[in-house]
Amino acid sequence: MAGITTHVLDNLTGRPGAGMRIDFSVFENGNWRLVKTLVTNADGRTDQPVLPASEAKAGDYELTFHIGDYYTTQGKLSPEALFVDTTMPIRFSVFDVAQHYHVPMLCTPWSCATYRGS
Amino acid sequence: MQQTLRRRGFLAAGLSLGGAAPAPRHVAAADPPAPSGLKVAPSSQAGLSPRLTFHAIDIFHGATGAGLKVDLSRYEGGAWKQLKTVEVAPGGRPADPLLVGEAYTPGRYEVVMHVGDYFERLGVKLPKPAFFSKVPLRIVIHDASQRVHLPVLFSPWGYSFYRGS
Repeated sequence: MAGITTHVLDNLTGRPGAGMRIDFSVFENGNWRLVKTLVTNADGRTDQPVLPASEAKAGDYELTFHIGDYYTTQGKLSPEALFVDTTMPIRFSVFDVAQHYHVPMLCTPWSCATYRGS
Repeated sequence: MQQTLRRRGFLAAGLSLGGAAPAPRHVAAADPPAPSGLKVAPSSQAGLSPRLTFHAIDIFHGATGAGLKVDLSRYEGGAWKQLKTVEVAPGGRPADPLLVGEAYTPGRYEVVMHVGDYFERLGVKLPKPAFFSKVPLRIVIHDASQRVHLPVLFSPWGYSFYRGS
């Protein structure tokens, strides 16, 4: 399957990051254009692919994870506890539309990690 | 110390891309530069005055991120305003703290790492465009009386950062 998917893992709790807002944007004409806003489900994934195979196109994409809201509302942490900013973008390129791009976010209030996953 | 000497010896013996060169390697005009090896022991910053420091490790080559360009921006008036661009020195840190003294104030900060240019300069074969070109990292400084260290581990296919020490 081609396209783009994501997965949020909350490494503070060792659980899927459920209910996190993610903004998906594409770089067009020198600007980031918001395509859609998604919210992770109970498994930390989105119910629908971020970008379905049928819409796969080479280009530059951005997934912005609303980590601040997630930890302050669900984690009941005070905003001052966070080291990671309220919004944390991952920017990557789709260079071959025949391939699938799984871009996970592993986070705590003090750290983030991502990689090209599967 | 012994560890340091051994590492230096290894480098002198020709650490290059892949690290398998059998003899000292002289960089010809067409050769990409070798990544900067790990030549010094970690340094503690405990007890230093409040500041924001940065450290980049290239976990693809097992080297420091020497030569990596980073842009530092601050969120001001509803937009990210670029403050400076610095280059990572051979030890993996920029020559100076990203912010120190009066410049070190609470706020939202963004560090953008030019990893695409970095790996291209080292001759790493990657798709075009590469999966990662300019990698943004966003952090918040709440209390300018605390020192903040931002270490980043990066490769062409992944990265992680955390509040360091």
